[in-house]
Amino acid sequence: MAQPISRKVVITVGLLVLGFAVLFSVGLRGSLVYYLTVSEFMDPARKTDLGDNFRVNGIVQPGSIQRAQGAPGARFILTDGARQLPVVYRKEVPDTFVDGSEAVVEGALGADGTFAAVTLLAKCPSKYEAQNRQTNNYRKPAGQGRPGTPTDAGSSSR
Amino acid sequence: MADFGNLCLFLALATSAWAVVASYNGWRAGLGELVLTAERAVYATWALVFLAVLSLEYCIFADRFDLEYVASYSNRALPRIYKVTALWGGQAGSLLFWEFILITYASLIVLMNRRRNRSLLPLVVTTLLGVSTFFLGLVDFLARPFVRLAFAPEDGNGLNPQLQNPFMAIHPPCLYLGYVGLTLPFAFAMAALATGRLDDSWFRTTRRWTILSWFFLGTGILLGGWWAYVELGWGGYWAWDPVENASLIPWLTCTAFLHSVMIEERKKMLRVWNLSLVIMSFLLAILGTFITRSGVISSVHSFTKSNVGPVFAGFLGFSILASVGLLLHRLPDLKSEHRLDSFVSRESTFLFNNLLLVGAAFAVLWGTLFPILSEAARGVKITVGPPFFNEVMIPIAFALVTLAGICPVIAWRRASPRKLLEKIQIPFWALVGGAGALLLAGVRDVYALVSFSLATFVIATTAMEFYWGARARQRVTGRGLAASLLGLVDRNKRRYGGFVVHLGFILILIGVTGSSAFKQEATASLKRGDGFSVGRYRMVFQDMVSDDNANREFMGARLAIFDGDRPAGTLVPGQNFYKAGQNPSTEVDIRSTLRDDLYLILTGFDPQEGRATLKAYLNPLVNWIWIGGGVLILGAWFAMLPDIRDRRRDAEARLREVESRAA
Repeated sequence: MAQPISRKVVITVGLLVLGFAVLFSVGLRGSLVYYLTVSEFMDPARKTDLGDNFRVNGIVQPGSIQRAQGAPGARFILTDGARQLPVVYRKEVPDTFVDGSEAVVEGALGADGTFAAVTLLAKCPSKYEAQNRQTNNYRKPAGQGRPGTPTDAGSSSR
Repeated sequence: MADFGNLCLFLALATSAWAVVASYNGWRAGLGELVLTAERAVYATWALVFLAVLSLEYCIFADRFDLEYVASYSNRALPRIYKVTALWGGQAGSLLFWEFILITYASLIVLMNRRRNRSLLPLVVTTLLGVSTFFLGLVDFLARPFVRLAFAPEDGNGLNPQLQNPFMAIHPPCLYLGYVGLTLPFAFAMAALATGRLDDSWFRTTRRWTILSWFFLGTGILLGGWWAYVELGWGGYWAWDPVENASLIPWLTCTAFLHSVMIEERKKMLRVWNLSLVIMSFLLAILGTFITRSGVISSVHSFTKSNVGPVFAGFLGFSILASVGLLLHRLPDLKSEHRLDSFVSRESTFLFNNLLLVGAAFAVLWGTLFPILSEAARGVKITVGPPFFNEVMIPIAFALVTLAGICPVIAWRRASPRKLLEKIQIPFWALVGGAGALLLAGVRDVYALVSFSLATFVIATTAMEFYWGARARQRVTGRGLAASLLGLVDRNKRRYGGFVVHLGFILILIGVTGSSAFKQEATASLKRGDGFSVGRYRMVFQDMVSDDNANREFMGARLAIFDGDRPAGTLVPGQNFYKAGQNPSTEVDIRSTLRDDLYLILTGFDPQEGRATLKAYLNPLVNWIWIGGGVLILGAWFAMLPDIRDRRRDAEARLREVESRAA
C-alpha cells in the first residue's frame, strides 16, 4: 500500500512545484525593473531589454524643486553629482522629499527628455556630511533635512 | 557615562566569549564546574549589557550631544517617551538593543533550566552566546553607539518625526522580541543535534519558544502595518518593501514549523524537515535584521559598500555551514518512525500547508533579494515590483485558506472520502451561498469573490468543529452546551487556540481583500466652504487650525464630514513641522467604522489664496485587519497557556531525567 501513496504525494508535490514555477515566471514578467544611478540611466549604451520603465536613484538638486500650484506633485532635478535628470511627478510628494534628499523615482523617459515618475520615494539627506563637521554647523539650515533616516522608516515612506 | 557604557560593552564581549568557550569545553570534558562558570558569565553579560543600555539612555536624557548617536537621534525638546525609543532609532543603538534582548532571553533560559534539560543546556548556552558575541563584536567595533563627535552641537537633529508615534514606540521592540526569540529554538536544535538527544524534550521546549517568537513577530508585523497606515499617509498598510518582507519571511517558516511540529509529536515524522525549519527561521531572522538595519536592498549602492554587510554575510555563512553540517551528521538518527498512511488524511493537509508556506517564504525571499542576486550575476541591480508579490502570494494564500477549511474536518491517518464529503457538505453550501449572495450584491471582482467565499467556508468548518466538539462533550458530561464548549476549549487550549488564530486570519483576509479590491480615492483643491466627495462621504472645508508646542508646530484643515446627508463630525488632517529637523510630517485623520475608513490627507495649503489641497481615500473593511489581528493575538495567547497534558508530560520528563541521572 505504501507505494501508490508516495507516488500520489510525489505527483502532487511535483504539480505544486510546477505551479510555483508558473506563478514565478508569470509574476516576474512585467515586474522586473532596472535600478540605476542617474549617470547609468543617462548613459546612451544602457540596456533596455526590460521595457521602458526604470528606477533611478539620485539626490534632489537643492533649489530645483518647483511645486505645482493647486495640484499635487512637483518638477525637480535628480542628480548624482555627474549628470542631471529633469523629473516630473504628479502625485503627493512624501514628507521626506526636500532639497538634498536621496530619491528613487520609477517611471519612463518622456519625449521631451523629462522623466515622468509614477512613484517617488525619498530619504532624508544622509547623516551629517563632512562639511557639517568642518563648519561646526551641526544643525542644518531650514529645509536641509534631518539626520539619517533609520531604514525602518526611510525605505517605507512614500 | 559614555566611557562607562563603552567599557561595559567591551567587558561584555569578554564575558560573552568566555561563556561560549567555557560551556563548550565544559560539555566536551564533562566538567560541571566549568559549565557553571559559563552560566554565571551569561548573567554577568546581561548585567553589563543592561548597564550599557542604561548609560546610552542616560546620555540621551542628559542631552549629551557630543555623542554622535545622541546628536543624530535626539534633541532637547523631544518628548520623554521618544527619548526612550531613540535607543533603537539608529543602527548602532538598535543592534545594542538586539543584543540586550538576546542576552535577556539567554539569562531567562539559564534561569529556567537550572534543573531541566541539563544535558542540552551547555550547548544551548554555547550557541546563544555565540550569537551574542557576534552582536557585541558589531557594537564594539563596527556600529559603535558611544562614538564622540569632535565638537558638541547646541542641539541634536531629533528623532525622525515618522518614528514619533506611539505605534513606533512598540513596533520595533515587538519585532525584535520575535526576531531574537528565533535564536532560542535554533540553540535548542543545535544542542539536540550535537548531543544526539533528539527525543521529545528538545522540541517541546523549542515549540513553546517558537510560538512566543511567532506571536511577537506577527504582532510586530501587524503593528508595523498599522503604523504605516496612520503615519506614512499614503493610504495603505503594506507595500512589499524589503524591510516589511524581511519580517514576513521568517514568520512564514515559523508558521510552517508550528504546523508540522504537530505531525512530529503525533507520528514522529518529518523530523529532518522540522529541524530544517527551525534552522531556516533563525537564519532568515538574522538576514532580516541585516536587511532592516543596513538598507542594502533599497539602496542603489553596491552591497559590498555597506559597512556591516560583509560581516553579516560571513556570520550567516558560518551559521549555515555549522547547522547544515550538524544536521547531515545526525541524518541517520533522524529516520521517521512512521510514514504517511493515506493521501486523504490530516497529515497530508499539513504537508501541503508546509509546502505552500515554505514556497511563499521562498517567493518573498527571492523577490526581496533579487536586486542583490542580479547585481552579483549581471552587474546591474534589477528590482522586483509589488505585482510579482501579489501575483504569487494571492494564489498561495487562497490555497492555504482552503486547507485551513478542510483540515479540521479531515481525519488523522486515513480519512474516508465519503465521511469527508458528508462533513464538508454544510460548509460547502455556505461557500456557494456566500458566493451567490456576493454576486447578487453586485460584487464582480474575481479575487474578492474567491476570497470572501473561501472565508465563509473556513468560518463554517471552524464553527462546526467547535459545535461538534461541544456536542460530543455534552453527551459525555451531561452539562449544558455552553459549559461543554468552555470545558472543551479549556482542555485543548492549543487546538482551539489554533482555530481562533485561523479565524483571526480569515478576518485579516477579509480586511485585506476589501481594502485592496474596493478602494476609492479623490483629490480636490478647496476654498473655504467648498466640498468634495468619495463614496458615501462628502467633506466640506471649514477653516485652518493650528497648534504649537516646543517640539512641533501643527497646521491642519478642519473639514465637516457628511455621511450621505447626515453630519458625521469633523476631521482635521494636517501637517506637523518638527522644529529640530524643520521638516513637515503629514498627519492624516481617519474616520473609522466597521464598514470602511475615510482617510484624509492634507497635501498642500496656500495661505494667500486660502486654498487647501486634499486627498481622500475610502478604504472598505480595513478595520477588520486590526480586529482580526486582535483575535489572532487572543488565540495565540490562549494556545500558549499551559495545558493539563503539557504539565503532566513535563513532570514525567523531569522524572525520567532524574532517574537517568541516578542510574
